Amino acid sequence: MTVAQNDAAPAAISVRNLDFYYGAHHALKNISIDFPQGQVTGMIGPSGCGKSTLLRVLNRMYDLYPGQRATGEVIFDGCNIIGPKVNLNVLRSRVGMVFQKPTPFPMSIYDNIAFGVRLHERLDRAAMEARVEDVLRRVALWPEVRDRLRDSAAALSGGQQQRLCIARTIATRPEVVLLDEPTSALDPVSTARIEELLDELKADFTIAIVTHNLQQAARCADQVAFFYMGEVVEVDSADRMFTTPREKRTQDYITGRFG
Amino acid sequence: MERSATSPSALTGAAKGNGDAVFAAIVRFSAALILLGLGGMVAVMAWGARGAFARFGPGFVFDKAWNPVTQHFGAAAPMFGTVITALLAILLAVPLAFGIAVWLTEIASARIAGVIGTLIQLLAAVPSIIFGMWGFAVLVPFMAHYVEPLASHTLGRVPGIGTLFRGAPYGTGFLTGGMILAVMITPFICAVMRDVFLSIPAVLKESAYGLGMTRWEVVRRIILPWSRSSVVGGVMLGLGRALGETMAITFVIGNANHIGWSLFSPGNTIASLIALEFPESAVGSLKFSSLMAAGFLLMLISLGTLVCSRLLLRTKAAGR
Repeated sequence: MTVAQNDAAPAAISVRNLDFYYGAHHALKNISIDFPQGQVTGMIGPSGCGKSTLLRVLNRMYDLYPGQRATGEVIFDGCNIIGPKVNLNVLRSRVGMVFQKPTPFPMSIYDNIAFGVRLHERLDRAAMEARVEDVLRRVALWPEVRDRLRDSAAALSGGQQQRLCIARTIATRPEVVLLDEPTSALDPVSTARIEELLDELKADFTIAIVTHNLQQAARCADQVAFFYMGEVVEVDSADRMFTTPREKRTQDYITGRFG
Repeated sequence: MERSATSPSALTGAAKGNGDAVFAAIVRFSAALILLGLGGMVAVMAWGARGAFARFGPGFVFDKAWNPVTQHFGAAAPMFGTVITALLAILLAVPLAFGIAVWLTEIASARIAGVIGTLIQLLAAVPSIIFGMWGFAVLVPFMAHYVEPLASHTLGRVPGIGTLFRGAPYGTGFLTGGMILAVMITPFICAVMRDVFLSIPAVLKESAYGLGMTRWEVVRRIILPWSRSSVVGGVMLGLGRALGETMAITFVIGNANHIGWSLFSPGNTIASLIALEFPESAVGSLKFSSLMAAGFLLMLISLGTLVCSRLLLRTKAAGR
């Protein structure tokens, strides 16, 4: 494994010697990687290589399922978050996640956002409305939904729903946002909007994005990590990764020889 | 079939003989039999009940007398008992079934959930007479010696709801009946709830947990709203069963033709009344007809409940 830090940005999350198991299956093998603050880290690799698994470690989502366990260190804000004493509700409010498919809750557009905020903060009505408007503006959804905030979120299109889910995630003001193939279920126009959005969001959040779309990784990511068979093969700046990869396996993957 | 084997193969004509037509006729007949059976049953009940309805009119439904000596019959008391015990059963069974279903789908590990889930299904397979015997031998004395005296000394003194918990501790009565029914319908309600909860996309739950929700918040704010109509449908299914249950409740209800707000007082239900009195009423007598009329009313109540549950389950299916 070769790790080269692209610049001096401090790490928001530092993964050290992480192993992960689904029961007996060893899904991540001695992974070490840094997620620099305020940057977009793209995670690429063939299906089943462990990139989504790593995301699910970063907010302890795997904890919902018996038989899945992690060993090693994942340092976030000075604390090993895979340790036993972590408050998962707080962790997940600070490390937000957006999924492959839009997952609007069965409630109104407004409540989809306000609900998550209410879990962690007490805001008066005006402050809440301001928060909802602010995040909807940031995901460029405000003009489309401003007149129907009380309508069910299920009525939105797929692309709109996904932007709503991003808005919902950033509304709780996390420090890190994890995105698991957020555009794979979307049309090209919606995809483009979300990619633009990532560029704006990284001013405030550290972003980790899993993608199958290499162009997307090249367009959006500052740093790219190539995963293969549960290992991190190479981590480098997006420019170098896609022009002069150091590892042969990376070269083979990005030129489409396998994957 | 033999003919098709020897006939030259051709694209037209009944190459496989008329087996398919026979099969279609058989299954069609089976389906028609259901319609015939149900329609016939309603008709027979209505026809048998005509004597009672002719004599007592619509007042039969509201009359609480049941007196074979004076030949004066009314269905109010057993209807009251039927509805009260069924509602009590729902009140007790729904939270229990809900808790079990949440535990099975959200918290228990797959293996344990499988074992407990099967046991709950087995509970549904216990014959109702067994519940009746258990109720009579175990539950009734327990209620009479412990629960009812305790409740009437505590809850019975609370103004308002105190009425519900006063009265002699017979052990038999509406509350005991409702409890037996609750045990019997919990598996059904639980099975429906578990299936609905399992049908919720994992990723929806994960995104709720991903916002930092606790398990209770996920259940309360995501799972319940998502599955509300199906859950109500399952509850109605259980209610339908509770309304018609006969054997177990006959053992523990006390069998008195009585309307009262004390949950400890003995009463009866339509089903228990019929089970006890039908064998001793002469065909064609007014009592016989009155029992038929009571049965007809029970059928209406049950069918109404079932129709409601179907409608609720269908709106859910169409809505998704």
